[in-house]
Amino acid sequence: MATIEGIQKAYIDFVLTEGQQPKSVYIFAKKNKMTEEEFYKFFGSFDAIEQNLWTGFAIRTIAEIKTQDVWSQYSAREKALSFFYSFFELLKGSRSFVVYSVKKQPKTFSTPQIFTGIKDVFETFCNDLIVEGLESNELSERKFFSNRYKDALWVQLVFVLNFWINDSSAGFEKTDEAIEKGINVTFDLFQRSPIDNLFEYGKFLAKNGGLKEKMGFGSN
Amino acid sequence: MSDNTPKEQNSIPTSKVERSAKFVKTGFKIGGNYIKHYSKKLFNPDMDKSELNEDNASDIYESLSELKGSALKVAQMLSMDKNLLPQAYTDKFSQSQYNAPPLSGPLIVQTFRKYFGKTPDKIYDKFNVRSSNAASIGQVHQAELDGKKLAVKIQYPGVGDSISSDLKLVKPFAFRMLGMSEKELDIYMREVEERLLEETDYELEVRRSIEFSTACANLDNVVFPKYYPELSSKRIITMDWLEGKHLREFLQTSPSQELRNKIGQALWDFYNFQQHELRAVHADPHPGNFMITSDDKLGVIDFGCIKEMPEDFYYPFFSLTSTGLMDNKEETIKAFRQLEMIHAKDTPAQIEFYYTAYRQMIGLFAKPYITDHFDFGQTEFFDELYGFGEKVSKMPEFKQARGVKHFIYVNRTNFGLYNILHELKAEVKTDTYKPHVVEQFA
Repeated sequence: MATIEGIQKAYIDFVLTEGQQPKSVYIFAKKNKMTEEEFYKFFGSFDAIEQNLWTGFAIRTIAEIKTQDVWSQYSAREKALSFFYSFFELLKGSRSFVVYSVKKQPKTFSTPQIFTGIKDVFETFCNDLIVEGLESNELSERKFFSNRYKDALWVQLVFVLNFWINDSSAGFEKTDEAIEKGINVTFDLFQRSPIDNLFEYGKFLAKNGGLKEKMGFGSN
Repeated sequence: MSDNTPKEQNSIPTSKVERSAKFVKTGFKIGGNYIKHYSKKLFNPDMDKSELNEDNASDIYESLSELKGSALKVAQMLSMDKNLLPQAYTDKFSQSQYNAPPLSGPLIVQTFRKYFGKTPDKIYDKFNVRSSNAASIGQVHQAELDGKKLAVKIQYPGVGDSISSDLKLVKPFAFRMLGMSEKELDIYMREVEERLLEETDYELEVRRSIEFSTACANLDNVVFPKYYPELSSKRIITMDWLEGKHLREFLQTSPSQELRNKIGQALWDFYNFQQHELRAVHADPHPGNFMITSDDKLGVIDFGCIKEMPEDFYYPFFSLTSTGLMDNKEETIKAFRQLEMIHAKDTPAQIEFYYTAYRQMIGLFAKPYITDHFDFGQTEFFDELYGFGEKVSKMPEFKQARGVKHFIYVNRTNFGLYNILHELKAEVKTDTYKPHVVEQFA
């Protein structure tokens, strides 16, 4: 009897051995002694398997970090860091598949189909911690922009993923450094910064533009 | 422990480009400080360089402390050599011996998972993710297991990788600040690099800590934390938490002369037992590595840096310090030759010059050894020492490399020891562990 895990395992084994997706669901099903119908009961296509695997990585990471005792003491920044570290620790176990899966994606600006699931899960996770950060004043509320904070974190995730794929340092230590640095810089930008003050000052000057005349420096 | 909770560092510049940028920035700033200094001097010719030195020191410190790791180590090392550096540099660098900004909690958790496969809260009963202080290439956390308070030292990722490139970057600055010749600096840098790389090996450090604390166990009033190899790894060291005060905090409590003598004696015995009985010495005598415990004992907490002394260095050097050998000019010159303080191609005039200068230098250094008792509180000895150091550093004859590389750490150790004893204003019996000597050289 086919299961989700069984199909995923067989699929990973196939692509890593053959270096490509099976020619058809028919061939794949036959090889794994199941009917096509059984396959479609779980997945609509091969890409759906990959999508499901990726989503699974994120869900497992989030579940894992939330069980750590320190979780409740973490700030939003630390929660994000924690996700990144644990996520890549988890990916280590499936590095070959990850490399295969990422490398075959076309280089486009839109999110590839197989990442749509993980993106949803990740953004929900980020939204929660951003709301938390905004409430505790750790992060700075900015009209229009604060809604985009989660996008910046997604960009970070994609960046670190590519970095990790090309990382050849022992124990992927360089990736750890990339995370520590990248996330910290990102959160620094989310915090209140001199730019905010400059903005406020600009707003003040715009609102009080008539000041000049009132103080008698204008003409007449 | 200190209550200071420095702001967590926002970014650690780690790539070589970024580090270079940091140093370049410092270079610009120092340049700026010189401009500031000379333009002020135009209007006030009496101004001395101390304000300039102060500006430079704080800029260098800022950039070094942001860089962390080996650069911070170099800062600490420079601050030890008070005789080589103007006072302002030293004061600023001394700050780096205490706190530097910590790394994020999740990275700590990650490091544990990498080396033990579990998070720290699964290993210890309690673990504080906020570090209690920085240890230059790592940071220290408090933990608890089976009712015991533990200190857990965790190394920053990528430290080993960046040491060599860091030192290359520090070089031009050390160059300018110390005014050394390139060749001399190279010997210095290689030796430093070797020791620093050893320091990044925490497994080695645990082994040595256990070795040394066992060997020194019989010394009076010196205590060591217990080390736990099973809770240590390449990047993590677990040891007992030593309760106590740092030297400076201790001095602020205005301890009695008797107490200061007791701590000073413990320190003296600790160092001289190692030098003369073990022939290998804890070569990092900066105040941050010692604690004064609540029952008034000297706690030693860091065995990262060990300098071993080979016989062909030990005998000529210490024989000079402790016998009548220096009265015998011929034998003294032989010893100087062995230590490469006098070179084979030196002219007779040069031999005479270096003989006189080094004889005076070693004579000064050996003063505490000549008598059975020495008062490190007296400032005259130190003024003489620094004065001589300053004089020598301005002599063109000393711009070139002299002396074997072992001097770097042995000098650092002994001057470090003298400095701490001076800060303690301690009176010490100096004949407790005497050097082993020979009277004649082949």
